[in-house]
Amino acid sequence: MKLEIGNIHVKELAFGENTALSSGRVQINREELAGWIRELDHRIAEVKLDIALPGESTRIMPVKDVIEARCKAEGKGFMFPGRNPGDEAMVGEGRTHVLKGMAIVTTGKVVGFQEGIIDMSGPGAEYTPFSKTQNLVITCEVDDTCNQYDHEAILRRVGIETANRIGQLAMTATADETRTYETKPLIQQAAEYPNLPKVGYVYMLQSQGLMHDTYLYGVDVKTILPTLLYPTEVMDGAIMSGNCVSACDKNPSIVHQNSPVIHELYENHGIKYNFMGVIITNENVTLADKERSSNYVAKLAVQMGLDAVIISEEGFGNPDADLVMNCRKLEEAGIKTVLLTDEYAGQNGESQSLADSTPKGDAVITNGNANQVIHLPAMQRLIGHDTYADMIAGGWDGSLQADGSITAEIQVITGATNELGYHNLCAMAG
Amino acid sequence: MPVVHIATVVPISLTVGANRIVPAVAIPHPLGNPKMDPAEEKALRRSLVEKALTALTTEIEDQTVF
Repeated sequence: MKLEIGNIHVKELAFGENTALSSGRVQINREELAGWIRELDHRIAEVKLDIALPGESTRIMPVKDVIEARCKAEGKGFMFPGRNPGDEAMVGEGRTHVLKGMAIVTTGKVVGFQEGIIDMSGPGAEYTPFSKTQNLVITCEVDDTCNQYDHEAILRRVGIETANRIGQLAMTATADETRTYETKPLIQQAAEYPNLPKVGYVYMLQSQGLMHDTYLYGVDVKTILPTLLYPTEVMDGAIMSGNCVSACDKNPSIVHQNSPVIHELYENHGIKYNFMGVIITNENVTLADKERSSNYVAKLAVQMGLDAVIISEEGFGNPDADLVMNCRKLEEAGIKTVLLTDEYAGQNGESQSLADSTPKGDAVITNGNANQVIHLPAMQRLIGHDTYADMIAGGWDGSLQADGSITAEIQVITGATNELGYHNLCAMAG
Repeated sequence: MPVVHIATVVPISLTVGANRIVPAVAIPHPLGNPKMDPAEEKALRRSLVEKALTALTTEIEDQTVF
């Protein structure tokens, strides 16, 4: 598969009379778009649109998903395929246009108990990559006929459909920069660089139920067996997020669209190694599923002829067991592994970082300690609801103070310890 | 004092050093299964508790998964 990515740099995001893209300025008719979103589901009770820009004294919470606006300029398929009848075509080929520098952010009342925070300035802004994007924020509320599952599904749809609609603005735009990514069918790819080590990527996805789910071509990944992807498929939305609980280390959809491990592996593809492709796997809630999926991952890696893999985890706790099983079984099959994770090492950093361990895991990269405590000063503007600060994961009774400031673990901040390395935390050699 | 660890992810129980381990159903519902009808689920729950009591009263030499 060969995919051209054309980036259109968004220099300005603003509300205005008509919805249009011109000279790097994305203008949105606020009323028209809000009305269109309301029509996406009859159970939507309220829609409010805001723009949050880097450096503003603005807090967005509770954040459910962050999505990049893209469109298929050439080639088959649709962004985030497999959700609607007729959208089943495979993606990852042709040309994709990206509105770079802006994002769609969804918020509204909490679905269950835990979602994230984005501060656009102050100390919290340093801990989220989404303080640097110009954000179109959708505050969406649903009516009381919805249960938690309906609520989550509606908000997920609202974010994705809005991103796709805004992405259409880029269809005929001239890209500021273009990059081509290509991965060939396995046999051809192996033959292209016969003297380089064959490297793969084991891409672990959350799959543990409400607010812990991920979708592959519209399919709930808790129901899949591990499978293969061309790396370019994710750039067209083959993976869609349905999770944001303990928001620091969950992958919003924009992280999958820009999947850092995949982009980095392409950097030295054909130079230092032969990047063969991606194995998608899940993190289910029974031991039998964990054993089966990790066995399957090891089998696929051997079948692909891999010499080494990078394994990334999503989340923490019991998924640490999936990470360790993948590591151990791949190493036992003679395949070298590097693990990407984060840590829950306690507020003083003195506790065990992961719930499970193996001597085979001798090459591990951490993306930070999620239990680190931070004080987030009050912001002049709040988009969403801050009353949930005491209940979201990483907060506690009393996290939200009377002056509007919040003291909590960085666990509450969307993307703070992203395990794909999407943001800036990492342990450095002393 | 003997202790039984009823847990879904047995490898973690082994890693943390539990001596008597009884495998559970699933992480969100270790001692039940919402997909079963109530009578079947009660039988399942009873069997897990009885297995745990057996483990509690069994002499062991090493880490043991029952």
